[in-house]
Amino acid sequence: MSLTRRDFAAGIAAGVAAPYLINSAYAQGATLKIGMCAPVTGPAAESGGYAIKGAKLALEAVNKAGGILGKQGELVIEDDQTTNPGIVLAFSKLAAQSDIVGFLGSIRSTQVHAISPDVMKLGKPVMIGGTDPNLTHMGNQWLFRFRPNDSYSGRVIAEYGVSTLGKKKWAVLHSTDAFGTAGGKALTSALEKLGAPPVLDQGYANQSQDFTPVVLAIKQSGADILGSYFTFENDLGIFARQLRQLGVNIPWVGSPSIVNITALKLAGPALYNTYGVADYAEDSSEGSKAFGKLYRDAVKVAPDNQSSWTYDAVTVLAAAINKAGSTDPGKIREAILAIKKFPGAEGEYNFDQNGDGLHGYNIVKNEKGNIVFDKHIEFND
Amino acid sequence: MDLALQLLFTGIGIGAVYALVALGFVLIFRATNVVNFAQGEFSMVAAYLMVVGIEAGLPYWAAFIAALLGMALLGAIFNLGVYYPLRHRTYLPVIIATIGASILLANSVLAIYGPQPQVLEGWFETPGIQVGPVYLDSQYLLIIGVTICLVIFNFWFFEKTLLGKKLQATSQDKEMASLLGISVSTMIMITFIYSAVLGGLAGILVAPVLFVSIQMGSTIALKAFAATIIGGFGDVAGAIIGGLALGVIETFGAAYISVPYKDGFAFLVLVAFLIFRPQGIFGERVAEKA
Repeated sequence: MSLTRRDFAAGIAAGVAAPYLINSAYAQGATLKIGMCAPVTGPAAESGGYAIKGAKLALEAVNKAGGILGKQGELVIEDDQTTNPGIVLAFSKLAAQSDIVGFLGSIRSTQVHAISPDVMKLGKPVMIGGTDPNLTHMGNQWLFRFRPNDSYSGRVIAEYGVSTLGKKKWAVLHSTDAFGTAGGKALTSALEKLGAPPVLDQGYANQSQDFTPVVLAIKQSGADILGSYFTFENDLGIFARQLRQLGVNIPWVGSPSIVNITALKLAGPALYNTYGVADYAEDSSEGSKAFGKLYRDAVKVAPDNQSSWTYDAVTVLAAAINKAGSTDPGKIREAILAIKKFPGAEGEYNFDQNGDGLHGYNIVKNEKGNIVFDKHIEFND
Repeated sequence: MDLALQLLFTGIGIGAVYALVALGFVLIFRATNVVNFAQGEFSMVAAYLMVVGIEAGLPYWAAFIAALLGMALLGAIFNLGVYYPLRHRTYLPVIIATIGASILLANSVLAIYGPQPQVLEGWFETPGIQVGPVYLDSQYLLIIGVTICLVIFNFWFFEKTLLGKKLQATSQDKEMASLLGISVSTMIMITFIYSAVLGGLAGILVAPVLFVSIQMGSTIALKAFAATIIGGFGDVAGAIIGGLALGVIETFGAAYISVPYKDGFAFLVLVAFLIFRPQGIFGERVAEKA
C-alpha cells in the first residue's frame, strides 16, 4: 500500500490536532464550570480578592462533598476592573463559553445594571450581590440575589435609629450611583413612614478627594443622627476622618460598607462607636460562625460580606444544580427559587419569586475596631 | 463667614496638591514640548515607596528621603526609557508613550504590592489645630507650606542660578542652547528627575489624606492637568495659581451649589478657559517667542 501525499497530510493534521481535541473533550467533560466577574483591578480590587477567596472556599467544600452532578466544579474568573464597561466585557467573555452553566456577577448594583441586558439575552442564572431593590424587580428572571436588598437595609437603619437610638433629625448621605441612590431613597422612604423625614438628603460623587462641604452641610443641618450609603471604602475612610476632625460626633448608622474590612483599616478610630447594617455578622447564626472559622483558618483575615455572599452563591448554585439534576438553565432557576430555609453564611435563604434570597439585616456596632453583633431584624413582606 | 473660611482653607489645601503635580507637568512640557501623562503615577509610586520604607522599619524622615531618591531614579529611567528614544519624533508618539508608561507603572505597583489601599500616617502626631471657627488639618498645613517653599525655591532656582538659567534656555530654544554649549540632553534629564521628585512629593504629602491606592495618581493628575491649562501651559506661576484656583472653585462650588457636581465645576472652568482664553491665565511662552 502506497502512502499518497493527501494521506500523509491528513495523517499529520490528525496527529497534530488529536492531543488538543482529546484534551478539549476531556476538559469539557471533566469539570462543571461556573463563571465569575470580579474586580481583580480597580478601586475595589482588594474586596474583589476577598470575593474570589469566598467563592473558591465554597467550591472546595462542594467538590469535597462530591461535586456538582458528579463532576468537580471549576471557577472561571474574569476581571471586571471595578467599572461598568469592564464588567460588560468580562461577562461577554464568560458568556461566550457555552460550557459555563452559571455565573457570579457583582456586588455593585451599578455593574449588575450594566450587564443585565446581556444576562437577559444569555438566559442563564447569574448570582448577584448588588442591593439596589430594582435589580430583582425589573423583569430579569435570571438574576438571583445573595444579599438582602436595600429596601430592607433602609428600613432597618431607620427603625434602629428612630426606635432604639431615639433620634429623629436625620442627615442621609449617599453616593450618586445606582446603589447609593436606591439606598438613599429607601432610607428616606422608611424615615418618612416613621414620621422622621430627613433634614438633609445629600448625594456625593464616587472617588471624591474631599468631603469638607458635605461635613459642613451635615453640621449646618442640625441633624442628630447620620445614615449613610457609601459605595467605595476609600470615600468612606476620607469622609469618616473629616467628619470627626470637623467635630461632628453624632451617632452614625451606615450601610454594610461601614463594617467591611477595608473601611475599618482605612478609617480606623474615626469609625469607632458607629453602627452598621450588616448582611454578614459572624455571631448572627451557626452558618455565619462556621463560615467565619473556615475563612479565618484559610485566609487569615476576618471575614466580611465581600466573601460571604460569594461563598453562599456558589454553595446555593451547586445545590440547585444538583437538585435540578440538570444544567438546563430553566431547571436551575426553578431549583433556586424552590430553596427554603437554606442555612448560609449570610443567614437563612428563602428565595421569593423575584429572586431575593434574604429578607433581613443584622445590626452591628464598631467597638474599638471590633464588629459586635447586636440583633437581627427579619421582614416577612 | 466661618463656613467660607473653612472651605477656603480646605480648597487651598487640595489646590496646593494639584499645583505641585501641575508644576511637574509644566516643567516637562517646557523642556520637551510634550505632556507627561504619567505625572500622576509618579505621585502614586512615591506614596507606595514611602509605605514600603516605613514597613521596612525606616524612620519617617528616612523613608521620605529614600522615596524621593527613588523618584529621582525613576525620573531618570523614565527619561531614558520613554522620552529619549522618541526625542526626534513628533509629540504624539511621546505622549502615547507616557500614557503607556502610566499604565505600566500602575499595573507594576498592583502586581508587586497588590490592590490593598494603605494607610500612611501624616508627618505630625496632631491631626490638626482649631483656630477660632476654622479647623486646620496639619497635613493640609504642611502641603500649603511646602507649596509656598517650592514657589520661592523655583523662583530662586530658575532666575538666580546658572543651572536654572540653563534649564530655562533649554526649554525656550534647544538649538540655541546647544550652540551656547549647554548639554540639552543633560538638562532634559535634570528636568525629568526634578518633575518626578515634585510629583512624588505631592503623592507623599497627600497620601495621609487620600490614602495610598493605585488610583490616587490618576485622580490627582486629571485635576492637575486641568489646573495646568487654566494657569497657562508652560508657565510655572500659572500652574500654582491654576491649581489653587481649581481647588478653591470646586470646594466652594460643592458647598454652595452641588456636592455631586463638584468635579463638574472644575471641568466647567476648564472648558470655559479653553473657549474664551485657551492660552490660560498667564498665556504661553511659545506665544512670546513668536
